[in-house]
Amino acid sequence: MLEMDYSPLLLSLKVAAISTFFVFVAGVFIAYLLAKRDFFGKSILEALFLLPLVLPPTVVGFGLLILFGKKGWIGSWLLEWFDFQIVFTWIGAVIASIVVSFPLMYQSAAAAFESLDERLSNAARTMGASESRVFWSVVFPLAWPGLLAGLVLSFARGLGEFGATLMLAGYIPGKTDTIPMAIYFAVESGQMEKATFWVVMIITFGFSLILWVNWWSKRNIRRFTKS
Amino acid sequence: MKRFPLSTLFISLAIFLVGCSNTNETEKTRAIEQEKPETELIVSAAASLTDALEELKGPFEEAHEGITVTYNFGSSGKLATTIENGAPSDVFLSASSQDMNNMEDKSLIVNESRIDFAENALVFITHKDSDSTISSFEDIDPAAIDHIAVGEPESVPVGRYTKETFERLDLWDPLQDKLVLGSDVRQVLTHVEMGNVDYGVVYSSDAFISDNVKVLAEATADWHEPIVYPAAVVAESNNQEAAQQFLDYLTGDKGEKTLQKFGFK
Amino acid sequence: MLHVDINTQLAHFEMNIHFEMCNEIMVLVGPSGSGKTTILNCIAGLVHPDHGQILSNEHTFFETGEKPLPARDRQIGYLFQDYALFPHMTVEKNIWFGVKKNERKESNEMIHQLLQVLGIEHLLQKYPHQISGGEKQRVALARALATQPSVLLLDEPLSALDTETRKQCQDELLRLHDMWKIPFIIVTHNLDEAERLGNRIIFLDQGQITDEKWKRYVVSTY
Repeated sequence: MLEMDYSPLLLSLKVAAISTFFVFVAGVFIAYLLAKRDFFGKSILEALFLLPLVLPPTVVGFGLLILFGKKGWIGSWLLEWFDFQIVFTWIGAVIASIVVSFPLMYQSAAAAFESLDERLSNAARTMGASESRVFWSVVFPLAWPGLLAGLVLSFARGLGEFGATLMLAGYIPGKTDTIPMAIYFAVESGQMEKATFWVVMIITFGFSLILWVNWWSKRNIRRFTKS
Repeated sequence: MKRFPLSTLFISLAIFLVGCSNTNETEKTRAIEQEKPETELIVSAAASLTDALEELKGPFEEAHEGITVTYNFGSSGKLATTIENGAPSDVFLSASSQDMNNMEDKSLIVNESRIDFAENALVFITHKDSDSTISSFEDIDPAAIDHIAVGEPESVPVGRYTKETFERLDLWDPLQDKLVLGSDVRQVLTHVEMGNVDYGVVYSSDAFISDNVKVLAEATADWHEPIVYPAAVVAESNNQEAAQQFLDYLTGDKGEKTLQKFGFK
Repeated sequence: MLHVDINTQLAHFEMNIHFEMCNEIMVLVGPSGSGKTTILNCIAGLVHPDHGQILSNEHTFFETGEKPLPARDRQIGYLFQDYALFPHMTVEKNIWFGVKKNERKESNEMIHQLLQVLGIEHLLQKYPHQISGGEKQRVALARALATQPSVLLLDEPLSALDTETRKQCQDELLRLHDMWKIPFIIVTHNLDEAERLGNRIIFLDQGQITDEKWKRYVVSTY
């Protein structure tokens, strides 16, 4: 039997879960604000949101270091006023994972809101519903399958995040070693058994997650569509 | 703002490609005009030697008419593998004796040509603006340090030497949760340059080329396995003579001086 | 009493509409793209005209230069084309959606009566995709009237139905109007339907009223 340290699993789940939470709230909120609105600079703003998707992870990581490093714009401010350090902590891993998974959530949410029939929310408005009621009782439940897909993608992306995380959170065994890092360094140092273990772990996890979402959305989207 | 770097990238890529094709053509035409046998010497070298070797290229080619040097930089282990798999190469400059030993065991190099041409030292560095008073490895107080960046000891050679050194000084265990492990020496350097870690441990040649770090201390050579750079002529080479000439030049006066200039010993 | 005065620039023409109405059925007829639905949307508060005035009884919905009354405060019943029933809610939830919490008790009897008149009591637990087109139309009517609106707007209410159901639903509309006694504005492009339903027909083209017909007598068709 392999002598295994399971801390990367717990850390990866923690990081992915927390980042997914923030990404979901922010992605849904921003996508809803921007959906069906057209203003100057909207496409530039959207391109900016999607940028982390096309940039190499190390570039994203470097950008994050410039922002959140000890001498970075935000990092130095946090350090000075709150004595709070982001770089080389698991919070750094959360931030890296937020930045790289936000585009996926935003895309899914924007597409989900875009495809909703505006008449449904208008019908709710004419029946006296406030904007928050329109959102919670009509828009959100109807967009939910698309939002869920974004949620799962973001979670999976957060779970697999490596490049930017290595830059911002560093690799400190027991503190910031997520599964992808464990895999990378195991492969580099020729510990194939350890690497295989984590690879199988992350594949199993990712695969069942995607399988479940596909099954779930097929079942539930059908319920809403007209027969 | 974001479009700018992208377009710059494309433009520079275009210039690069055009530039490449131009040199190729001029070289070709020159070769045809001169009708003189030209030797292309392929040197596979460890990435850390890049700057020093680029500087040596010009003077060497001037001194040896008819020989053109082409470098192929990479990590020593990967280069060894490609040579073993038959990639064309005349000279192998490695950053670790281990890789060269493997090559020697498999008779992939000309054994009698093997020579250690450079040494490197392990240095303790900090950001250039730091007011640290540490002046030797023994001064390191784990309790007073937030983070030290080092190479990952299992996969990065500089990490292995660092671990040996810290273990020798009984600092490895106390430093455990202060260590930020980099995936290569470049990353260790970046962490120190950006001020995100208090200190880092890199090769003296790496510290040498960075303007943003200063060296606080150098590790005594017997704290770790010797960091030597062995060189050898590749057994399969068709240019054995030119390859030997390159090695002689590298270990000669000019070569030694250039290597020293870039922080090697 | 509904007073409508709309001036607004649309993509292809300028719209100038002015009319006043009491508790009658007014039908807007015109080719598609003539601005019929825009008029309904202006009254409902889903879009706002550039200039003009929209008054319903003592409420000001819109007045040039003033902040328009939000759609949710206008007490409008709006039957959308294709009904816009909430697909994730049962018929019952759809109908009760617009009834305020504190008015549930008082509304109970009215809604019960409404369901009886429309004959949709047995559908309460069904989802919209489980019922027929005619049933959807009735559910949407019930939903629009359950909020006790002061005006009912109907956008092509019968266009999705087959001829037989269509006749029935026309009768139902007239019956409901008789019970409710509020202004109904019906948009259609079917002239027969307009003549059968309307006390008054307004013909629209390119955002202008081109003709107006009154039925001198009010017939009960049941």
